[in-house]
Amino acid sequence: MIRFEDVSFAYPDQGSSIRDLSFELERGEFAAVIGANGAGKSTTVRLADGLLRPSSGRVLIDGEDTRNSQVSARARKVGFLFQNPDRQICKNTVREEILFGLRTVRSEEGESALQARAERILAEFSFTGDEEPFALSRGQRQRVALASIFAAEPEVLILDEPTTGLDYRECCHIMDQIRRMNEERQVTVMMVCHDMEVVLDYASKALVMAGGRLLAAGPVREVFRNRELMEKASVLPPQVISLGLRLGDGYETADTPEAMAEAVLAHRKKEGASDE
Amino acid sequence: MNKLFQYVPGNSLIHRLNPVTKIALTVVICAAAFITDHLLFLVCLLAIDLLIGLIAGVAGRTWSIFRGLVKIAAFLFLLQVLLTRAGNPIFWIITDHGLLTAGKVVLRLIVVCMPLTLVLAVTRISDLTNAMVQVLHVPYPYAFTVSTAIRFIPQFLEEMSGIMEAQTARGVAFDQAKGFKKFSMILPLCAPLLISSVRRTDQMAVAAEARGFHLRTRASAYKQYGFSTGDLLTAVFCILLLAAAILL
Ligand SMILES: Nc1ncnc2c1ncn2[C@@H]1O[C@H](COP(=O)(O)OP(=O)(O)OP(=O)(O)O)[C@@H](O)[C@H]1O
Ligand SMILES: [Mg+2]
Repeated sequence: MIRFEDVSFAYPDQGSSIRDLSFELERGEFAAVIGANGAGKSTTVRLADGLLRPSSGRVLIDGEDTRNSQVSARARKVGFLFQNPDRQICKNTVREEILFGLRTVRSEEGESALQARAERILAEFSFTGDEEPFALSRGQRQRVALASIFAAEPEVLILDEPTTGLDYRECCHIMDQIRRMNEERQVTVMMVCHDMEVVLDYASKALVMAGGRLLAAGPVREVFRNRELMEKASVLPPQVISLGLRLGDGYETADTPEAMAEAVLAHRKKEGASDE
Repeated sequence: MNKLFQYVPGNSLIHRLNPVTKIALTVVICAAAFITDHLLFLVCLLAIDLLIGLIAGVAGRTWSIFRGLVKIAAFLFLLQVLLTRAGNPIFWIITDHGLLTAGKVVLRLIVVCMPLTLVLAVTRISDLTNAMVQVLHVPYPYAFTVSTAIRFIPQFLEEMSGIMEAQTARGVAFDQAKGFKKFSMILPLCAPLLISSVRRTDQMAVAAEARGFHLRTRASAYKQYGFSTGDLLTAVFCILLLAAAILL
């Protein structure tokens, strides 16, 4: 669905920010881009939507080169959630905001169909629709931005730090909604995220970046268990994983607190049995 | 575009002038441009503008400012020429008087705008503020207001392009529209821009207050802004320029 072929990119009057990036995301995949600050994650997702064009190499979305078409024409297929939701919101009520997005990308459906669609999304995100976006909290504004993207039913969802600055409940709320999109509609998700617990819980694939290069791409758990790789990328793996690695002895495979608890209990039972 | 008002580090003759001298030079050039009524004198002033840019070692910046201004000037020139009725007709509805007036108007525009932008290229905004407070005895809050307004311009432009990017990603066809159409698409975006600006101003006020903004006086700056021979020569040049503008 998203395919990078030897992509390099440099901002004007700066050294290269992205070098020789190649990877591919299949339809319905949930990928997380992880790495330290300044590793080039935001640049990579901007490239993925064609907001930036590669200096060399190519980026394909659904087989189409981003250089050959306009970003706005792709909006229906690709939803992009920015780090700063305020740049996206421009209407006075949440309902208007969602309708605005719908009218730009699905104008052919007719007003009444769009209205119905907007109401459905409002209910799904538990908004009444009459809230003023700029009077909401940051987390809620983030959800408004997400709601207006969801309304258009994109096939690809690109998210730049969707959960940064949100409280735990709000974070789970948003991530669950993203997961539902991913599972029910086979939406491809590419997410930049600094919260490795979130990455472990939700993503299936991890793209590890450092210094503008792709260090590794693979299943999230495998990547997190690779100590050397995590060190190189300056990423701290989730605590459960670290704990499992530290304990060794069969605990490495536990990747949730529940699984860890089960493993401990099972181990204890075994020890109890051998004592008798 | 974002770099238009940014400081270009350097150690040229112009860079080393006292910020106040630079302001004075700017003001004098502007005043001269408005006082004089000679086309040739205006051309000389333009040459001085360009020369200053060259001496300051910011030729590239000078050129890009000049090019931008010429574009606006060309439009104004056309309007002026087509709308002036007075004078002897030369060709179609164009008159000699119209040509002359239009020429003067656009030259004045270019001559005045160039030093105003160049002074920001060769002076740190903080130096500009401090010198205004120290030498000209401008109360600090006023000087701060001016410098902050200038500092906001690039941030404002960056925010604008960020908003346009976000809207493009949502399907607003900024990347397909041109000219007036694009302008009409920008208007609805003023709400987010305004809100982010107000928010930022608010944050800045609180931050400034927390760092003792109201305690600051003339004596607070540690850097002294002295006058050198270069400043003296520039002052003499300013007086000559002004005299020439009045007498000629
Ligand atoms: N608009 C820009 N102009 C010039 N250089 C930029 C710009 N944006 C980013 N860079 C540079 O590109 C590099 C990668 O930045 P990028 O924003 O992609 O990092 P990131 O991985 O998203 O970091 P973070 O975790 O802080 O969001 C950085 O070194 C940065 O200095
Ligand atoms: Mg980033």
